Amino acid sequence: MLELRNLTRAYELGGERAGVFGVSLEVPKGCLAVLAGPSGSGKTTLLQLAGLLDQPDEGEVRLAGQSVSNLPEKARCDLRLRRLGFVFQAFNLVPVLSALENVMLPLQLQGMEDGEARRRAGAALDRVGLADRAHHRPGQLSGGQQQRAAIARALAPEPLLVLADEPTASLDHAPGGPLMDLMAELARERGVTFLVASHDPSVIARAHRVFRLADGRLVEQD
Amino acid sequence: MILARLALRNLLRQRRRTALTLMVVVAGFLALSLAGGFMAQTFQGLADGAIRGGLGHLQVMPREAGGGDEAQSLEQSLPDGEALAARLRGDPAVAEVLPRIQFMGLLSSGAKSVAFLGTAVDPALEPKYMACAEALKGGAQVPGGAGSRWLSADPAAREVILGVGLARALGASVGGSLTLMSTTREGALNAVDVDVAGLQDLGLRELNDRFLTVSLATANQLLDAGPARSRLSVVLKRPQDTVAEQARLQVLLPETSVQPWFELASFYRQVKLLYVAIFGFMGLVLFLIVLLATANTLLMSVLERVREFGVLRAMGLQPQQLLALLQWEGAFLGVLGSALGLAATLLLRAGLNALHLQLPAPPGTSHGYELYIHFVPTVYVAVALGLQATLQLSALFPGLKAARLRIVEALRHV
Repeated sequence: MLELRNLTRAYELGGERAGVFGVSLEVPKGCLAVLAGPSGSGKTTLLQLAGLLDQPDEGEVRLAGQSVSNLPEKARCDLRLRRLGFVFQAFNLVPVLSALENVMLPLQLQGMEDGEARRRAGAALDRVGLADRAHHRPGQLSGGQQQRAAIARALAPEPLLVLADEPTASLDHAPGGPLMDLMAELARERGVTFLVASHDPSVIARAHRVFRLADGRLVEQD
Repeated sequence: MILARLALRNLLRQRRRTALTLMVVVAGFLALSLAGGFMAQTFQGLADGAIRGGLGHLQVMPREAGGGDEAQSLEQSLPDGEALAARLRGDPAVAEVLPRIQFMGLLSSGAKSVAFLGTAVDPALEPKYMACAEALKGGAQVPGGAGSRWLSADPAAREVILGVGLARALGASVGGSLTLMSTTREGALNAVDVDVAGLQDLGLRELNDRFLTVSLATANQLLDAGPARSRLSVVLKRPQDTVAEQARLQVLLPETSVQPWFELASFYRQVKLLYVAIFGFMGLVLFLIVLLATANTLLMSVLERVREFGVLRAMGLQPQQLLALLQWEGAFLGVLGSALGLAATLLLRAGLNALHLQLPAPPGTSHGYELYIHFVPTVYVAVALGLQATLQLSALFPGLKAARLRIVEALRHV
């Protein structure tokens, strides 16, 4: 499903060279994969490259067998809109929209009719156990609920790949296990591929595959 | 439409800031539309003054007529002006034709003599179409003007109506006798004794100091004019057709020059040009203020939403869609601001007009007038369109800034 070939993306951080260097990995369809490693190891940079949010200095990103790293901006936007889903550490729901409207947003941006978008968004919220909070705004939801809404938003367009950056890090008072169980279920049920950046042991414990990074290099995979 | 809905929600998110921005737009709309209404009143007043002050809607004059002294004599005239007037009265577009003789000479009280500019008119027709009564009303209020009345329609009557300044210079009053002196068409000196029927306030000091009016019969005796007339003032049935009728009558009367009133009313044109320049400058300043205030607000709103924009971009929103989002925000501010501005304008206009405020006399004129702000839909539409364009422009820079954000940097933004 996702193949990263010899990816390099370097930048200056505090006067030192940081980023990722020559990373290659492959995540099959329906797999819950975790990028593990300490802070500054390059997890987020790699996730951003895989999610077409940034462009590599060298190397190639292949999605469903096609090279996508050098596509023009419009095509990259379209791929992100229709084939990729994102879950961020800080949830990043649009604060002026309700949970339901947040989940509807990518569907509406695809041009879907409001009625159909509402139906699919409602189903996605139901799947993550948030149907009863659909009309609450992010500020009225707990951290865990916001993160489940964010997962619903990522899943609603039925993407091939969901990229999650430290999805449990902001859940101060809630364990990350249930969230990861949900992702594992979705990977199994729907064949969605997950690539999660995390150093949370409860996340790593539930992964189908783990890629360990250190200083921007892939040091171990199992 | 999702972008429009998102834009509306964003404006509602910062209600106080949005309200402040709207106030700037409303204030801009209010100032420009009230100024436009006031200008319309001024233009209307000046146009009425010119048309009803003697020009009519069209003037038929000799082709060679100029603006010098010869215009104030029969040296250049319509040789058979009365016949031409009768012919024009038969035209279906013409309501009335008022023949006039313009002349100049000396007016003497015996003790003093003063140069004058005179106009001879038909005393029966003139009050029906021209502002004679208003001028006399003003004249009746000055010393010596009590009992002012219009000229007698009796062809044997020899009467004069004096500008208030001219009467003051001569120490003349209503009921007094004066002597008009001028030259006939052949160049002989002639004089006619006249009674002062009234004083008139023509609104402009220069005119009041020099101007007098007599009947065509009196002028005929003084100037030996015969059927010659200096000009014909044409009153149209449909004033809005002035331009078209001017062209048509010019073709019908190739031996004459047919001029619309606004070509001849130089004071009207000068004031209009001045007001348009003032309005234009004021508009520019106000649009600039609105531009800066709203651009600042929208820019602040962008800076507060950098991370949110990063998320939207990560979700697949294209840079031009972010630009469109900001344009929608500008559009809503413009539409709502103009709607509120229109409501405020109509309310304030009604309030100001109800106060019957008296404005001081403008420079060069002799009396003030009541403030009446006109209802001018074209001005409201023009102001609304101008403000809308300003709002769209003010949303452009913040929109470009949002569209140029690098996603990975925007997502890191705190």
